Amino acid sequence: MSPSSTPTTEAPGVAPGGSIRVRIRRFDPSVDAAPRFESYEVPRTRLMRVLDVLDHVHEALGVDLGYRWLCTSKKCGTCAVNVNGSPVLACWEEAQDGMTIEPIGNMPVVRDLVTSRDGYEATLAAVAPQLQRREEYPGFPEPLAADDFAPSVHLRDCIQCLACQSVCPVIAQKDAGFAGPAVLVALAELALDPRDGAARGATAGSVAKVFSCVSCYECERVCPAEIPIVSEAIEPLKRLATAQGHVAGARRAAAFLAVVKERGFADGARVAFQLNGLTLRALRLGLRLFRRGKADILGAWRARRAPGADSVRRTYEHGEGSP
Amino acid sequence: MTLRYAYFPGCSAKGTCRELDVSTAAVARRFGLTLTPLENPGCTGAREFRAISEELHLTANGRILALAEEMGRDLVAVCDTCLLNLVEANARLKRDAAARAMVNRALAPDGLAFRGSVAVKHFLWVLTDDLGGEGLRAKVTRPLAGLRVAPFYGCHIQRPPSVQAGVLGRGADTRPALDRLIEIVGATAVPYAGASKCCGFHVVSTEEKIALTMSGSHLANAADSGAQCVVTPCPLCHTVFDAYQPDIERNRGRSLGLPILHVSQLVGLAIGLAPEELALDRHVVDCAPLRRHMAGAAAG
Repeated sequence: MSPSSTPTTEAPGVAPGGSIRVRIRRFDPSVDAAPRFESYEVPRTRLMRVLDVLDHVHEALGVDLGYRWLCTSKKCGTCAVNVNGSPVLACWEEAQDGMTIEPIGNMPVVRDLVTSRDGYEATLAAVAPQLQRREEYPGFPEPLAADDFAPSVHLRDCIQCLACQSVCPVIAQKDAGFAGPAVLVALAELALDPRDGAARGATAGSVAKVFSCVSCYECERVCPAEIPIVSEAIEPLKRLATAQGHVAGARRAAAFLAVVKERGFADGARVAFQLNGLTLRALRLGLRLFRRGKADILGAWRARRAPGADSVRRTYEHGEGSP
Repeated sequence: MTLRYAYFPGCSAKGTCRELDVSTAAVARRFGLTLTPLENPGCTGAREFRAISEELHLTANGRILALAEEMGRDLVAVCDTCLLNLVEANARLKRDAAARAMVNRALAPDGLAFRGSVAVKHFLWVLTDDLGGEGLRAKVTRPLAGLRVAPFYGCHIQRPPSVQAGVLGRGADTRPALDRLIEIVGATAVPYAGASKCCGFHVVSTEEKIALTMSGSHLANAADSGAQCVVTPCPLCHTVFDAYQPDIERNRGRSLGLPILHVSQLVGLAIGLAPEELALDRHVVDCAPLRRHMAGAAAG
């Protein structure tokens, strides 16, 4: 965990003495017709955390507030809540005067601040998140080198708090079938484990739908463990799936590269044609763009190349590792 | 003092968003900024090169950075995704000697080398930070008074979070750069949910529904908040919002008719450039309501 997230100085808003007001979203789906907000006044204490506020509301004010916590030290991943619209760990976030506390998004509310982890756990189970060895366990001590685990070392910081799942705009679309960042982190941890022999790329492409990721980095923005989720979990899984090449997203990457190498630039119309062929939909969009001078439809078929295309291709072939 | 930059327009500004390239050049000329295009830069790889090989991503972006270094100028991009790829590769190649050596072996046949001597900037930041509020205001001859503009940043201009934390508010003024810019040109920034979210562009060619649901929700929020147009620093966001707006309208069963402006077009209008110089006619969504607003403001 980064030392920068350790509170070392007290913000003026939480200096001891006086009190702060907080709004908490209350909802019990078994009895309430709709959620409501209730305000509470809580005495300030030194280095007060969001969890301290919830404890006070529950214990001192006698409110039957539903909230979840276990370790109180950024390890168990059970206490994530939204503070002013963004997910944080209640045990690690400084309390602020006037804050609004709500359950994290993208999952059903069990009661008040407690959300259901069922959907996440079912999706995780579907990707078989256990080590599948190529060879039998060689006995103890198993020779493991730190270097072998370097690509996945940050992924092992995941505490499954689901902050990332709660902000993912693709998970928000339930019918998309996207597994979400937390599941992909678990899958990548195995895919990058030298002991694992399962076809994780295929699972990432077809079961977890890694190519449905829009690459918006919202997951990274909110991750309390500061895991580079996109560059160290999602992109490596895409690479593994691309190497197997059987899903649309993998074909998209291959078509894109082929066009840039051929022409020296990314000719969007050409990529679209290579990827989807000449569909009615593509034609409709193409004509719409053509009418406004935005697309050179004929250029997609004409062999047009940037003047330096050869030099671009040569550079890329080095990067790809081929001669 | 003339501000000089190496310019990487990217594939969109040279293809489906040519109006971005045209209007950026026109605005730069008016402010006396020199933007010199790189020769044969290739592509930053969108999100596709990284899905094939990390080395390819670093090599392709290393080539573009090395070309700017050869010119001895900071590199300006006009696309959020190009910016992100270049920013990430620049940071990685500066700190990772093995990756740098790999890239320099690939660049050697073209007489290029990555040394890590330039910064990567978005044209938006050239306007708000390098020219600054005073430099911009000095040229505003036709303030866009009364125009309600929804700022849409797109996600990649704020990423990666470890590098660009707080990028929405840079410098002494901590308000987001687009909000500041909108105020400088005399218009009003409309607050709405979604301004810093993702448009979904990177899956639109394979999973159109995911992308158009996301972008449709942002546009509907902007319209419901009273916006008369949207301004974005990213041509990919522009493409989803503008080129696909008829599809978004059909999916949501409501008409939006929201013109989508590039940053350079918004500024261009305020500094007195003609709509033709900004290629406002090259949009799918008609910009006539904007022109009528401006004509009305001038007359009134």
